[in-house]
Amino acid sequence: MRPNEESTSAVLETQTMAKRQCEEALAKLFEYIDGELPDTELLRIGEHLKDCPPCEAEHQINEKIRMLVSQAHGDKAPHQLRERVLSTIQAARAELQAEG
Amino acid sequence: MRAAGARPWEVRVGSVAMSEETSLDFETEALSYMDQLYAAALRLTRNSADAEDLVQETYAKAFKAQDKFTMGTNLKAWLYRIQTNAFINTYRKKQREPKRTDADTVEDWQLAAAAEHQSSGLASAEQQALDSLGDTEVRRALSELSDDFRMAVYLSDVEGFAYKEIAEIMDTPVGTVMSRLHRGRRMLREKLRDYAAERGIYERSAGDADHG
Repeated sequence: MRPNEESTSAVLETQTMAKRQCEEALAKLFEYIDGELPDTELLRIGEHLKDCPPCEAEHQINEKIRMLVSQAHGDKAPHQLRERVLSTIQAARAELQAEG
Repeated sequence: MRAAGARPWEVRVGSVAMSEETSLDFETEALSYMDQLYAAALRLTRNSADAEDLVQETYAKAFKAQDKFTMGTNLKAWLYRIQTNAFINTYRKKQREPKRTDADTVEDWQLAAAAEHQSSGLASAEQQALDSLGDTEVRRALSELSDDFRMAVYLSDVEGFAYKEIAEIMDTPVGTVMSRLHRGRRMLREKLRDYAAERGIYERSAGDADHG
């Protein structure tokens, strides 16, 4: 193999490896974000995200969507519902005690 | 990253003998989750009257079944499971929404996931578009997902339940939860992109091209 062919194959190999790392990071991105990965994978993917801006951008976008969803859904139970539930439970408790 | 502690989940079938030490102070403990159950019920039923009825039914059922709750296990997840079952049994029937089958497999989304790598220009355009969206649009996007996807995304993103807990609540394997989360979040993202495009914030056509 001539020197330039050798270096071409080395470059190809590096590219293939990088592509595999991207595939893994993207496939496990939600598990990464959700804290569902074992430590070794968590570290490996975290390292990859640091080195790979396009994967990190995907990570940021998905984190942002998760945050938006979380922020948009903080409804409080209406006061009358609380009253209603309490009286149901008290009635059920009274019934239970009456039965002995 | 989510600050996730260990989440012991234990399902015990059958009742536990009640004593002063082991019984649940139902009013205090279970009722402390009412805001969260109501917010989840709103997502499930999509309207406040049904959401109130669902929470009411959840507490009535939980009270009757409280001797089946194992002290030391996750009360919040237990209540969510009761509520989810009540929703499926009562409201889904009432709404006449056909139950969707989840024939999708884990491989499905794993194959689909790899493709998405966009140019930095597109990524930053999408991030800007997301910044411009309000709570109303985010809620609308979530409400448009089908029940199973909406529930999985809600339980994970809003409530922070672990996959294993969501699997218990939705009575489905963890693999199905992951599949629902992946697909639900992808659909949600598509919808958010569409809303931003409708408002002229994000060039929708740009999102379809230039992957890699």
